Amino acid sequence: MAGENLYLMKNKTEQEKSAGNRNKIILNTRIWLARNLTNQKFAGAGSGRERNALLEEIKKSVSDTKIFKDFRYYKIGSLGKIQRDLLFKDYMIDAGVANRMQGKGLFIRSRLSSGMSTAVIINHEDHLGIQSTCPGLNIRKAYKEVTGIEKYFEKRLSFAFDSNLGYLTASPFNLGTALRITVIAHLPILIVGPGIADFVKKINSIGCQINGYFVGRSEIIGNLFEISNQVTLGKGERDIVKEMQAICLSIIEDEQNARMQLKRNDLLGIEDNIYRSFGLLKYAKILSYEEALELLSILRLGLDLSIIDGVYDFDFFELINKISNPRIILDMEISDEVNDDRLDSIRAGIIRKKVLKEAD
Amino acid sequence: MKCDFCYKNEATIHLIKIQGSNIERINICRECARDFSFLNEEDFYNDLTKIFYKFYQPGDDGIRSGRNKKILRNLSYGRNLKCSYCGMDLKTIKRTGKVGCGNCYSEFKDVLFPVIKSIQGSLENKGKIPLNTSRKIRLEKSIRDLRCKLQNEIIIENFEGAAKIRDRIKRLEKNIYGR
Repeated sequence: MAGENLYLMKNKTEQEKSAGNRNKIILNTRIWLARNLTNQKFAGAGSGRERNALLEEIKKSVSDTKIFKDFRYYKIGSLGKIQRDLLFKDYMIDAGVANRMQGKGLFIRSRLSSGMSTAVIINHEDHLGIQSTCPGLNIRKAYKEVTGIEKYFEKRLSFAFDSNLGYLTASPFNLGTALRITVIAHLPILIVGPGIADFVKKINSIGCQINGYFVGRSEIIGNLFEISNQVTLGKGERDIVKEMQAICLSIIEDEQNARMQLKRNDLLGIEDNIYRSFGLLKYAKILSYEEALELLSILRLGLDLSIIDGVYDFDFFELINKISNPRIILDMEISDEVNDDRLDSIRAGIIRKKVLKEAD
Repeated sequence: MKCDFCYKNEATIHLIKIQGSNIERINICRECARDFSFLNEEDFYNDLTKIFYKFYQPGDDGIRSGRNKKILRNLSYGRNLKCSYCGMDLKTIKRTGKVGCGNCYSEFKDVLFPVIKSIQGSLENKGKIPLNTSRKIRLEKSIRDLRCKLQNEIIIENFEGAAKIRDRIKRLEKNIYGR
């Protein structure tokens, strides 16, 4: 009996450990679901007045409810540029489409305890965009959250639907389930290894796409990638969730294998790399966002491989958000006309404080 | 070499597919390629390979070049039609990659469905359906799901299970069409 208990305990800690490692490779999960109302023009085709009317209708449908009690509401048009940039970045809204502000709204709820945040984006490409983000690999939890809100709206509004095409969306890329699952992965070793071409091919062949995390840039920064399901029509929601979960686990395995292999083959090489990054982060006085990300990525790898100490076990994804320009400007309450050197120097300071155990 | 589609411009994109001893070639000019591509100019070259890759996916029953050419031709629209409900025209849809309303999908069916098929690989919704859909659509969906199951049962040679599913399909069909 005692032996069995011990076994269970050991099992649990191992499980926790593996979940911990998992969440260090898959940094974030985001699920997005689009819906449009019947007999209405989509947001791209409607006039400002039509969009405003629709916004009011949707707002009215949530006004008398408990579910939306702890949501904050923002009117996109009345936000400042920096705030808008930040919201768009946090909630992954394409800022390029945001030039027509009229009739666009955003409901947000973030739970600090779990790090989970949920947003309902109104009149942005589709009438309703329901989105939930969770730290780490948490597809099922985020999916549950999103469907809960969708069900709420479903009872009050009537959605555009076609028996063949499924839920109708502005972009044909989202037809069917209109469900998009995106995970952000930190793959520092897989990306430099010889297996990268095969890896990308594999991801594409199972109906997923892989991009750099930073939209609109051709180069990869901080070894961060976005992986999402490409196909939304012809598959059920459950299948998409199951598939993405399996894909994520296989990505984690690939990256972990690549790490182990490299550690075996060229330990000195990685150690050198990691300590160089450590040195730069420790002594640099100005750090651009891009450089900081590259260095932090390598340092995070050093922690994952237990190669380095004297460093806090920092949350990579949280930190990269914290050191972005708009976030620094808002957090530090400085004018948005601040010059780059000052931002870079504040950034270097934040990193020293958050990452190094013996901060100066 | 002239373009296979417009027979006018010089082709700048050449696709060659070799499968065993069988060689297929497609030559396209930039204009025609952009015409069929559903993406805006910026994404055009990034996604071109992906789209072509889709057409050439191994195991796809429509690999024959005739079908591929037809897909491409369907997409080069003749007139710049406008949707009667929202007023969105085809040119804008192709430029932005977004339609204006739900009605666009039925009005531009001929142009859009092949694109959707090439993007999604299917034209059959297998996801959930809204609460307020008519009973008929709901039953039709159950029948579709059951047919999928039936196929699977036949593949694994579970004919007893298959017969049960077949009977359920028959019952449902009777329910909808009253036969």
